[in-house]
Amino acid sequence: MRLENRAPAEGINASDEHPLREFAWLAGGALAALVATVVAVSLGAQWLAPKLPYRYEARLVRDLPAQPPPTDARGREALAELQALADRLAARMVLPEGMRVTVGLRDERVANAYATLGGHAVVFRGLLSRLDSEDALATVMAHEIAHLAHRHPAAALGRGVAIGIVLSVVSAESGRGAAGAVLGQAGTLAALSFNRDQEREADREALRVVAAEYGHVGGAVDLFDAFEAMQRARGDGAATRVEWLRTHPLSERRAQAAREWAAARGVPVDGARRPLPPALAAMRAAGPARR
Amino acid sequence: MGALLELGWFLTLLAVGYGAGRILERRHYASIRRRERELADVLAFTMRFPPKTTRAQHAFLVSGTVVVSSDYFKTFVAGLRRLVGGRFRGYESLLERARREALLRLKQQARERGSALVVCVRFESTAITRGRVPSIEVVAYGTALVPQPR
Repeated sequence: MRLENRAPAEGINASDEHPLREFAWLAGGALAALVATVVAVSLGAQWLAPKLPYRYEARLVRDLPAQPPPTDARGREALAELQALADRLAARMVLPEGMRVTVGLRDERVANAYATLGGHAVVFRGLLSRLDSEDALATVMAHEIAHLAHRHPAAALGRGVAIGIVLSVVSAESGRGAAGAVLGQAGTLAALSFNRDQEREADREALRVVAAEYGHVGGAVDLFDAFEAMQRARGDGAATRVEWLRTHPLSERRAQAAREWAAARGVPVDGARRPLPPALAAMRAAGPARR
Repeated sequence: MGALLELGWFLTLLAVGYGAGRILERRHYASIRRRERELADVLAFTMRFPPKTTRAQHAFLVSGTVVVSSDYFKTFVAGLRRLVGGRFRGYESLLERARREALLRLKQQARERGSALVVCVRFESTAITRGRVPSIEVVAYGTALVPQPR
């Protein structure tokens, strides 16, 4: 027997492969898996949350502070008119069992309105000054009530929390950030963000309800035309920015979409507009809000 | 902002781990290969008894121990690897270096005591920290033989 030691063979027990190559594959794969999980979970939560009975949402927001009613008599009258309009429009939609639409009126200059958890819809006083007729106001209201009817606030909350939970597995900080943002909005019954499909859905529902209520969609066309004109004339220095356009983003021309919707169903695009109810008309005449 | 800092810190650690780990590994391999050539005349085998042809021997225990640590980069990649399975390539080269280094230290010890033959060489390894960045000890030990003068 001949005994010898040889130099160890290289590249068998250890690999010569560049470590960054392995890193790129693994990190890229993990990142892709994370993105896919976040997308899947957020879509799943967005789909599932509105399927949960409304009473759970109602219980969740029961103790949250709703928009306080106006302190002056005129404001209260205006709010009552808004509520009556909302009730009339809501009666034409299928609301989740147990939901009652509650309107809030905010004394602020910004032209905005939003829908949030617990059947709450909030209209800003700044928006009233932009509207000429009850028809236009009804379009905004019907749009927001449509969000409520389709449980969009619940979907937004579910999506945000689900994304937060998934991300917290990777980084506690980013998970807290994602969930905290939506919980902060939900916890104060502030505006939640909806996606474009949800906005489109709400627009269609609003057109249907406005057409049924007024016999034509003139109010919707007025509203969208006016908003588009304001959007084109950006930088007019007006303090009352049209916040509603920012919170309700839709790339396509909504007025055009409304006309096409009406044409496809034989609904008149024009007709007699109903004037604003008296207290709301008075509030509009009084000019923009204090803040 | 906090998440961004967290990410920046993580990427810094990753880059430091990768850069330093890569340079040190290259240097270590160069040193291992050089010393393996230098100590080529000290023979080491795993058989339990010396070959029959050898003369009467004076025998004693020699050992070489190495403690190595993974770096942040290798550990991170290994963490990802655990998800899908497969070769821990980073750890393979780390442990190969540790074993070769341990054997070199054993041979060095043998040579210093006048031996050119070590039999019954064994390797053992023990993880000494398992936390975020693991480290491991590799021991090589064996029986060094020195021919006894007649």
